[in-house]
Amino acid sequence: MTENRNKKRNKKKTVSYFDYNLLFIIIFLIGFGLVMLYSTSSYTAQMKFGSSTYYLKKQIIAYMLGFAAMFLLIFVDYHVWKKFALWIYIGSLLSVLVVLSPLGVTLNGARRWINIGIGTVQPAEIVKLGLIIFLAFCIDRMSKGLRKAGIYIKLMLFVLVAVGMIFVITSNLSSAIIILGIGFVMLFVASPKYSHYVYTILAGAMCGGLFLLVEKLVLKSFRFNRFSVWLNPEEYAQSGGFQVLQALYAIGSGGILGKGLGNSIQKLGFVPEAQNDMIFTIICEELGLIGALAVIALFVFMIWRFMIIANNAPDLFGAMLVVGVLAHISLQVVLNIAVVTNTIPNTGVTLPLISYGGTSVLFIMCELGLVLSVSRRIRYEE
Amino acid sequence: MLTFKTYNRKKTVVYTGIIIVLLAFLMVRLVYIMVFESEYLGKKADEIHERERYIKAARGDITDINGNIIATNKTVCTISVIHSQIDDPEKVISVLSEKLSMDRDKIKELVEKVSAREKIKSNCPKEIGDEIREYNLSGVKVDEDYKRYYPYDEMASKVLGFTGADNQGIIGLEVQYEKYLKGKDGYILTETDAGGIELENVAEKRIESVKGNTLRTSIDINIQMYAQQAAEKVYTMKKARYVSIIMMNVNNGEIMAMTNVPEYNLNSPYELTDDLKQKGGKEQDMLNKMWRNQCINDTYEPGSTFKVITATAGLETGAVTLNDTFSCPGYKIVEDRRIRCHKTTGHGSETFVQATMNSCNPVFIEVGLRIGVDNFYEYLKKLGILSKTGVDLPGEASAIIHKKENVGQVELATMSFGQSFQITPLQLLRAVSAVINGGKLVTPHFAVSASDCEGKSVKDFQYKEISGVIKEETVNNMRYVLEKVVSEGGGKNGIVEGYDIGGKTATSQKLPRNSGKYISSFIGFAPASDPEVIAICIIDEPEGVYYGGTIAAPVIKELYENVLPYLNIDKSD
Repeated sequence: MTENRNKKRNKKKTVSYFDYNLLFIIIFLIGFGLVMLYSTSSYTAQMKFGSSTYYLKKQIIAYMLGFAAMFLLIFVDYHVWKKFALWIYIGSLLSVLVVLSPLGVTLNGARRWINIGIGTVQPAEIVKLGLIIFLAFCIDRMSKGLRKAGIYIKLMLFVLVAVGMIFVITSNLSSAIIILGIGFVMLFVASPKYSHYVYTILAGAMCGGLFLLVEKLVLKSFRFNRFSVWLNPEEYAQSGGFQVLQALYAIGSGGILGKGLGNSIQKLGFVPEAQNDMIFTIICEELGLIGALAVIALFVFMIWRFMIIANNAPDLFGAMLVVGVLAHISLQVVLNIAVVTNTIPNTGVTLPLISYGGTSVLFIMCELGLVLSVSRRIRYEE
Repeated sequence: MLTFKTYNRKKTVVYTGIIIVLLAFLMVRLVYIMVFESEYLGKKADEIHERERYIKAARGDITDINGNIIATNKTVCTISVIHSQIDDPEKVISVLSEKLSMDRDKIKELVEKVSAREKIKSNCPKEIGDEIREYNLSGVKVDEDYKRYYPYDEMASKVLGFTGADNQGIIGLEVQYEKYLKGKDGYILTETDAGGIELENVAEKRIESVKGNTLRTSIDINIQMYAQQAAEKVYTMKKARYVSIIMMNVNNGEIMAMTNVPEYNLNSPYELTDDLKQKGGKEQDMLNKMWRNQCINDTYEPGSTFKVITATAGLETGAVTLNDTFSCPGYKIVEDRRIRCHKTTGHGSETFVQATMNSCNPVFIEVGLRIGVDNFYEYLKKLGILSKTGVDLPGEASAIIHKKENVGQVELATMSFGQSFQITPLQLLRAVSAVINGGKLVTPHFAVSASDCEGKSVKDFQYKEISGVIKEETVNNMRYVLEKVVSEGGGKNGIVEGYDIGGKTATSQKLPRNSGKYISSFIGFAPASDPEVIAICIIDEPEGVYYGGTIAAPVIKELYENVLPYLNIDKSD
């Protein structure tokens, strides 16, 4: 232990790296996100709660906690988390079970939150962080065996447990997809093989297709309806197509240069819950194509920094943590923008760092703290 | 310690690459939506944001031939309360009940009702609305609106018609000329949030309303009033079912007056007139009856006035000349029927002129039979009996008349003196006009021109005229004969001091023949030698004396005594 600590100190003296680029993008996106959140939510907040800063205040508090958590994580050696990985994973899964207890909260018809006294927390976000840490830990332990299908399937089962719980208990399809995606991407990067993953995708596609067929023919559930809406939102304007259609109106009416910050009309209750999943549409409406492309460019840059940090990480565990966060954030960005532009069927995914949502903010900040913590350990080769 | 191997790095790059490709694709999609579909989607978005508030256009006025306004608009107020904005309900209740002279409890109930907006009273005079507005009560809204207003109440009610709740024409000229009268609504476009609340600080688009065109009609209020008074007088005196008078410019078809007494008050068209109220019946049926324009919407058996047509056809076809002599034994046998003359003892020997003055049925039967079915129908057609007149009022009735192929000797005989078929009074007026105006079949009409609110002409209405339907010689003969009817024959009561009047009387028995109900009528024109005006009076079911010459001719006489000098028609030498 002492030897280890000395080693660290030595490294610190010789090479002190910190990814300020990433930190800058994070701060910039958060600042931008708060401005857009205020712009998007002030009117509806005023109407609903009598205070235009209702959402903004809550978001700022979440970010303050988030920043505290992030800095804490930056300065804590991330290897510590290896020791707790299993417990973190189990703990995060237990938090999902709490939803079933009287502490569970139902909002907008879905039971996905737990009440912790000072506010509500969405366990799905906890599971995402828990899975990233736990999977990084497992991969670190079993990297040699990842070549084997057996080990791959075993690790995939851990992922599927989390996915299944989120999907079944909180019936939250979008979070389940993201968690599945995170796990899949981490295992894909960790393994030297490609074939397993191609098969998985093929099998997944087949299962998905079968699932939809059953939904349509046997259950006649609303999920299949989403597909009809997706293909022709204007025909379903009165039912499921309303949100998508309003989103398209917002994006389309922005044009190239936008209506100017604060001038969106779609945010005045037309786009439902615009401050959540649909905030990107208001960015489009107010800041135009230029603003929208700039936001995507920022995310591309951020993802790029993740890739650099992952590829230069001092060890497999650190690299896998970064890959997990990379997968999480990139998937959410892609899915969010794809949904609001009606490129894929509607499913609720928030835009990281910009959408309103305390739990999401807090845990993404934790993840970013981990990434920055990893970046601190990067050694230059002399 | 395990490290990130080259293949790990490669795969991280592969994944990041895939994500960047996906994001690039989404960027392209955004370009497509925000550049190429922007216009369409933006318009769609505007549609849901914008709310149009209409500015109701004022309806165009209707004037008489001299520009006197006979239908216009009045500003009225609608008083309503918005429950959520009321902060002093007691005061609101007391002010409203006092100003609107409405029951306090009823207002209280409306004020206390939890609703978005509750209408207290509509159509209340502007002055009262202004007074209420003065109080500046929060939660009380005073909205101005236009209401159609007819300054002369009952005058020409069945011609003008009235408008409905949305100021749209319902019957009469109001509906016939809706296109010209209605004007163009303006609107204020405001942007709203999803709840429909108007946004402040957003420039509103305002498009002003345009008042409807002013419709100038051929009615002359003075003549109309004379006609109405004359009709009312005989209506009361003879306790008739109704009395109609039409007066028309004989040369161009402009109708100067058209009245059907009893008229109703255009400012309260849904209130039954007193005599209708007494009769009772289903409200809607009664209203329809009240609004009916008998001159146009109803048909009747013209009787002897129709002999004008028979005489014309006879002279035209050469079936008879003025000096042909006939003998009337008091009846005429046609096939197996014995058709009686009104003078059962017979008129004895008489010329055609005398027979017309006597209104002798057997002579006209003889003339009719001489004319023959084909020629008779030819002239019915030429004189417009077989078609509608084309008058610019809705709901004109067609003649009810035998099909030509079904007309035998008996039918022809009865038609010759105006029985066994029905026409509208206006059809008869138009046919007789053609006979005496030189053979021109005109289209009776009211609308003369339409002009916009600045007085600029928008439309001069043109009507169909067919010239030369009757020979000049026949025209002169008919003027002569009909003048004789008035000056020496059955129309003596139609003589107007100082004027030559031509005309014909009729007394038609209503069906069934033994009902004892009659329609008395007189059709007269002036001056007889060169007619300018023609008028018809129809008295439906008079009590007591029912001869057209006795009761209908004096009505036209009275009308002419007032109107001919007013129109500066030259007196005869």
